[in-house]
Amino acid sequence: MHERGRRNYYPVFSFKWAPRYSAERRAKETRTWIEVFSKLASNANDFISACDYDLEGSLIGYCLLKYACDNKHGTAKRMKFSTLTKTELEKAYEKPLPNLDFALIEAGRTRHEVDWLYGVNLSRALTLAAKRWSGRYATLSTGRVQGPTLKFLVGREKEIRSYVPTPYWTIGAEVEIKGSAYEVEYEAKTFEKRVGADTVVEACRAKTGEIETIQVRKLRQKPPVPFDLGKLQTEAYSFFGYTPRRTSNIAQRLYLEALISYPRTSSQKLPPIINYAAILKALSKEASYKKLASELLRKGELKPVEGKKDDPAHPAIYPTGNLPEKELSQQEKRIWDLIVRRFMAVFGEPAIRQSMKVCIGVSGHRFYLRGRRILKEGWTRFYKPYIRAAEALLPTVREGEKVQMKRVVREDKFIKPPPRYNPSSLLQKMEEEGIGTKATRADIIETLYGRGYVAEERIAVTDLGFDIADILSKHCPTVTSVKFTRELEEKMERILTNSEERENVLVEAVNQLKPVLEELKQKEQNIGQVLSTAIKRARIQERIIGNCPSCKTGKLMILYSRKTRKRFIGCTNYFKDLCTTSFPLPQRGTVKPAQKNCRACEWPLLFVRLKGKRPWMLCFNPNCPLKEERRKRDEMQSLREES
Amino acid sequence: MKCKVCEKKAENEYCELHEKAHRNIVKKYDVWKKASDISWKQYLSELVNNPYTGVWAREVAEHLMKSEEK
Repeated sequence: MHERGRRNYYPVFSFKWAPRYSAERRAKETRTWIEVFSKLASNANDFISACDYDLEGSLIGYCLLKYACDNKHGTAKRMKFSTLTKTELEKAYEKPLPNLDFALIEAGRTRHEVDWLYGVNLSRALTLAAKRWSGRYATLSTGRVQGPTLKFLVGREKEIRSYVPTPYWTIGAEVEIKGSAYEVEYEAKTFEKRVGADTVVEACRAKTGEIETIQVRKLRQKPPVPFDLGKLQTEAYSFFGYTPRRTSNIAQRLYLEALISYPRTSSQKLPPIINYAAILKALSKEASYKKLASELLRKGELKPVEGKKDDPAHPAIYPTGNLPEKELSQQEKRIWDLIVRRFMAVFGEPAIRQSMKVCIGVSGHRFYLRGRRILKEGWTRFYKPYIRAAEALLPTVREGEKVQMKRVVREDKFIKPPPRYNPSSLLQKMEEEGIGTKATRADIIETLYGRGYVAEERIAVTDLGFDIADILSKHCPTVTSVKFTRELEEKMERILTNSEERENVLVEAVNQLKPVLEELKQKEQNIGQVLSTAIKRARIQERIIGNCPSCKTGKLMILYSRKTRKRFIGCTNYFKDLCTTSFPLPQRGTVKPAQKNCRACEWPLLFVRLKGKRPWMLCFNPNCPLKEERRKRDEMQSLREES
Repeated sequence: MKCKVCEKKAENEYCELHEKAHRNIVKKYDVWKKASDISWKQYLSELVNNPYTGVWAREVAEHLMKSEEK
């Protein structure tokens, strides 16, 4: 920290650790907590840190012991546990580690300090540049991981926005076998020239083909590996559409309820010490898992399939076997169920699938008919309904059999641009590139949304995001360099194994930052101008609701009357004397474009939020059929009440 | 000099971003011509109407069409 209220300067390289209440106006309640700890500590003889066994947990325990418990960090012991079940906590309490985990503490401390140095200095440089130019305050931020993450997104966005599609052609075909139609693939997947596809269509249309060969193959599909946090987040996004942060928060709640093990783990391994059989036995008390868990228990030896990734502090995520004592929310139920079924699936037998490829010859061309079916369900039985592959059953056919080509057409296609990242694929990219940690990645993605640098679920970079990335890559390329960020991460990881020292990492971080900040300061005016323009544009963009339904060329926007200061919706063509369309708006609460259209009239919807009330969607079309319907319904209701 | 599409600062005809899109358009024309024997004008019109064309590439294609009409 440094002094409260003096945040309008940079660089800041000197700092000290201090209670939050002395640095943040909104953190007054921390004072009471710390005082309670100090009071309790004054009468205590033994000290044991029982915080979560991770970087953050170890550091919190250390800070409490050092600052609130009168330097007891030197003599305190450490409980090590991965679940909050009574048995494990009792065991960890009976046999604590003799000392605090100082390597973990040192690594956690360094990470906080390095992130603080980068975040505070760079964010201030951007915010102050914009404020000094425009006189208006807007929070802008960047950091050691935020910068490179935004850079990935900007790189992808540029590719998409300047993309020119390439045409290609395919053959769409169907054959008729025993009265049913089956889709077949042409031997060449694509044609680069249209004429090539036309020739095939010409040669095969309405012809009779002959089955030349039938290939049958059996495939063994191994069970999936246990969940680490990244894999859980990916699967939850794919099946429920939850963002990584949402999944991480739900998993944390399940951990605190002692229903699952510690979720912020990179491990894909389940050591026997967790007692697989005891967990399955406990799970079998739940009706929906009874049959499956009992089946696994009858197997005799339980051996999980494991992934490559490991984490020295915690095993992969697994259900503790405890059943919910209170009703779980829908989201919690879903994540818990996913974790339980995954845990059971890793002990399952491989699934055996049969694939069949029927080769059909037509006028010298070949078409393939493909089918697949499950011979043995294996682990997939335990993981249902989270299974993707569907069966495609084929009729009984034999070589030499004649089949009729029912449809042969040319299909015009284009190579699509690279897909936009979504929160889940971005998280995976960050993981692959080795930037951020499992505990921070999801929050960084949310910050990018919060600052207005990106928007929408299929992540699109906003103009403000482009300008921030542009400024950073022009004036401080090291800050957005993935290589530099990864190297720094590796150095911080080495502190964990005592092969790197905190001081060296901090000195290097400061040495990297100094010239960057000097340059930002020198060019503060230019940067401020660019940022202020981008912020202004972003604020206008936020108020645009959609196309004007009257003049079709203008945009509808939330505007404020100069006379009354009341807000309303108006068309941008009003200022050109082309359109006078306007609609009233509620004057209380916040109103934002909902980025959705009304299901009845297709007009853009607004999202209204009023303090103390549930937010709602508003269709401002006065003639919306839904409004008419509602009016009639209300009338009927009052008539019924009267009668 | 200002970009002919977005009026941002530009060294030549287009700003840095529209220049990249322009280069892509010119480069891809060969592929389109070989694939379906298409004229430059038809090609630009295809790009303007294609849902996969990027925003900047579409803006450049529209600009090129308009300037050729003139």
